[in-house]
Amino acid sequence: MKSKSADTVFERKRERRRLLAKLPFEKKIEIVVELQRAAAGIRKEAGRKPWVLERPERTVR
Amino acid sequence: MEKALRVIEEMARLGIIKAYAIGGGIAATYYIEPVLTYDLDIFFIPPREGLDELAPIYEFARGRGYVDQAEALLIEGFPVQFIPAYNDLVREAVAEAATLKYRDTEAKVVKAEFLAAIALQTGRAKDRERVARLLEADVIDRALLARILETHGLKGRLEKLEGGAGEK
Repeated sequence: MKSKSADTVFERKRERRRLLAKLPFEKKIEIVVELQRAAAGIRKEAGRKPWVLERPERTVR
Repeated sequence: MEKALRVIEEMARLGIIKAYAIGGGIAATYYIEPVLTYDLDIFFIPPREGLDELAPIYEFARGRGYVDQAEALLIEGFPVQFIPAYNDLVREAVAEAATLKYRDTEAKVVKAEFLAAIALQTGRAKDRERVARLLEADVIDRALLARILETHGLKGRLEKLEGGAGEK
């Protein structure tokens, strides 16, 4: 049995994933860290600490 | 992560590892939506096949003052897990790696088609999910994937996944 509303919801989810997939890699890594921070509140395991990203290096001219 | 990537590149330049490529969750994140992961997985080909392929890496790392944390090495504060290329598929994936850029640093990354093939070979639920996402994101060259799967006897696994894919 097919549901048109369910298909619409799933298509929107696919579209959201496609948009996320197209983000710059640097931005995606920032999102990974956000996910780690969110998970840290729930899973307090050793070795599961959120990463600390370096600040982007700037070239002095 | 930038500094850790530079150290890994340096290890390849110094011959501590022959070749490497980022795999796992970070490689997946490069191609698809970001996924929760905690280690930077590095598949590598050792300069010599031997008893302990990780020993030169740990020797180099300890010389630099890096410590281990569970199965990973903390390189510049970043958990890096070195995994020797454990079969022909992973060896080929490392040899055929692409190049990614993170800020001003370049590093080797497993191509999406090999990432999918490795996931199909590993076969856990999260790996099957990853294959589905890679296919959905339109980052897979189907002809290349078919060639890889044929070579490594994995064709049936993709057919099974696609045949039974009811997930959205």
